[in-house]
Amino acid sequence: MLARVANNLFWMGRYIERAEHVARYMNVNYFASLDAPNELSQSRQFVLQSLLFMADDFSRNENELNEEEVLYDIALNPDKAFSIINYVKLARENANSARDLISTELYEAINKFYHFVLNYPVDQFQKRGLYDFTVQVTENVSILRGKIRGTLLHDEVYAIIMLGVNLERATQVIRIINSKYKDAVLAQGSYGDTLKNSYEWITLLKCAESHDMMRRFYRQTPTSFTTLEFLILNPDCPRSVMNSLNQVCTHIMTLTHEKHPKKNSSAFLIGKVRAKYEYKIIEEIEIDLESFIQNILDDLNNIAIKLEKEYFHY
Amino acid sequence: MKNANDNPTFESYNRDPKLYDEIFDENDNVRDIYKTLFNLYSEHSAKDFGRLNNKAKSSFFNQGITFQVYGDHEIKEKIFPFDLFPRIIDPQEWEVIEKGVLQRSKALNSFLWDLYHDKKIIKEGIVPLELISSSANYLDQMNGFDPPGGIYNHISGTDLIKHSDGKYYVLEDNIRCPSGVSYVVCNRTALKRALFGVFNHYQAYTVTNYAENLLEILQTVKPKGVDVPNCVVITPGIYNSAYYEHSYLAKAMGVELVEGRDLFVENDFVYMKTINGPEKVDVIYRRIDDQFLDPLEFKPDSALGVPGLMAAYKKGNVCLVNAPGTGVADDKAIYTYMPEIIRYYLDEEPILNNVPTYHCSRPDELAYVLENIQNLVVKPVDEAGGYGISIGNRLSKEEIEEVRETLKENPRKYIAQPIMSLSVHPTYIEETESFEPRHVDLRTFTLLGADKDFVLKGGLTRVALKKGNLIVNSSQGGGSKDTWVLKNNQ
Repeated sequence: MLARVANNLFWMGRYIERAEHVARYMNVNYFASLDAPNELSQSRQFVLQSLLFMADDFSRNENELNEEEVLYDIALNPDKAFSIINYVKLARENANSARDLISTELYEAINKFYHFVLNYPVDQFQKRGLYDFTVQVTENVSILRGKIRGTLLHDEVYAIIMLGVNLERATQVIRIINSKYKDAVLAQGSYGDTLKNSYEWITLLKCAESHDMMRRFYRQTPTSFTTLEFLILNPDCPRSVMNSLNQVCTHIMTLTHEKHPKKNSSAFLIGKVRAKYEYKIIEEIEIDLESFIQNILDDLNNIAIKLEKEYFHY
Repeated sequence: MKNANDNPTFESYNRDPKLYDEIFDENDNVRDIYKTLFNLYSEHSAKDFGRLNNKAKSSFFNQGITFQVYGDHEIKEKIFPFDLFPRIIDPQEWEVIEKGVLQRSKALNSFLWDLYHDKKIIKEGIVPLELISSSANYLDQMNGFDPPGGIYNHISGTDLIKHSDGKYYVLEDNIRCPSGVSYVVCNRTALKRALFGVFNHYQAYTVTNYAENLLEILQTVKPKGVDVPNCVVITPGIYNSAYYEHSYLAKAMGVELVEGRDLFVENDFVYMKTINGPEKVDVIYRRIDDQFLDPLEFKPDSALGVPGLMAAYKKGNVCLVNAPGTGVADDKAIYTYMPEIIRYYLDEEPILNNVPTYHCSRPDELAYVLENIQNLVVKPVDEAGGYGISIGNRLSKEEIEEVRETLKENPRKYIAQPIMSLSVHPTYIEETESFEPRHVDLRTFTLLGADKDFVLKGGLTRVALKKGNLIVNSSQGGGSKDTWVLKNNQ
């Protein structure tokens, strides 16, 4: 496979995954805030700030945010690099350059998704479309996941897409944790709850589509402790960082041709990072969550850089 | 005899007696070959066709089978309009076409070999020297070079029309990078999806075997010493108007689709950059024009090509398909010599008709053209895509005067031909929600390899959707039809 095309497929996977996380974050936060238990977390400014934090936009005055503008920018503004429409556009463009390698079914699904987002009426979105739009985005991404898994040859092409998907998933879940942690710190103390029992943890789990399964696993109301443990370390939770790292590990083995990867290879680095988190315990993480988050984002970023050097260089 | 008026779908169909109608004869009777189809289509209402038409359109759009049109400000994504009424060609008629286009492709190949070697045809005065010496498409780099297998135009697209006399005429030979074959396949798929029932009544040849034959042809021209050649398709990229076709062909052949930046040349061998390091490339089906192939030899600022590619080619380490420099033989001035070219190299009479042509470069013919612009089509010799054409009977007096001035200034750049009347074919028109006659042509696809040739049994029937319009190019609002070549007579 061509290095350039591999790079495009990797990014196709990343952008598809990213679009979904941003859409779900928007949806869950916005609707959770409508009847949130404390005054701060119920305020519009609070939730808009949170959305912008997740979208990585720090360009405006935090206290005078215009709701319509913020929602439009994150969802449908083609001029914003962080908008969903832009991610879908880039995903399609990347798919297009690898059109000879992926299935007609997958391309058609991406193309339909793109036209859906492109033609979504802006005024409808701003008036009453937020729920509909974000749900449809997540639905479309589910379809794409199915097509990727079900219509592609599980060879190098598949491995590279899945590397992109999983690295992005781990990154976005960590960013969601970061963002909600920040919110939980700010909005402490509704009906006397502490940071540990904040309402924001439930929102966080919902943002990662993991609330129901977390309940099933722990059989108790989420706390900071159990939430973080579940989303970061539980290998059986399909959205956890650990699960993503395990998958990255599996898929890199399709690309590497060595049983014992060399010290300077991507496969080696990935194995090393995975080992680091495999034996991590939540008590260690909780002491200093902020440094932990920075650390793991660096690790994920280093893996991407290494992959690029080894496989995508052209 | 079924008459047009017995069929509600064709109630408003107005046959123009001056034009050759492919399905109705001069007495308004349905021609034999179309009778079954005509009856089958009568079972559907005009509304049904409207619905099917929309379905076919969204199917093309969702699959991303689109091309880009460059406007003043933005790039628009458009589908190539597809028509629900297929064109049918009977076995006898097809046999003539197939033999005829193969004959032309072979003659052109011999002509190119001669032009880049001994130039006998010029020395013997059959084709004038200035036609070649003044051509921007003659490549000095190709002089004296033997392309692998002796083949220049591996892929030829021949454009044919049916004139009001009911005979086929060749309008143009395309031997640079002829496109459109992917639409032949798409059209068949779309028609099968929309109206599969009709295929039970006709036995048409498949068109999906094009890609496998193309791959075989590519493999016949592999460089010396290569056992199993590594073939690739090179595209200018995803923004090219024919990108869908490039990706389709690569996918259907199961070979890599590359861009110039994916390739590099080292020690006169060509490699592509893969995730596992460099991999040697042996045969390149190139869909980029000569001038962009290699910045070291041609346009130095071109980023589409590969530096050093021509050197590798001339060393015989890689084969380019089609060969560079074929453009010298398919321009509109050379076209007019095709009957002589066929006779000279093959010692055969041309099977297909050429449209009689006046060369504005010849003073006596120029004089005739200047006097008869209103009855002629004037075409620039070197423009593609239907641009710069003026059709005499559509021009105002002032416009005729303008054309006259242009011709006098630049006679070498123009040729003129009688206004050929393209045949018409029933075509679904969205605005009126009914079938109306529209002008059609036919592009055929011929492959030449070392000891192997292939003509696709079918082709791209292009249709001018605007009423009365004769220009069928997609960039000018043309659509296309599925084209059936029948295995036996109905």
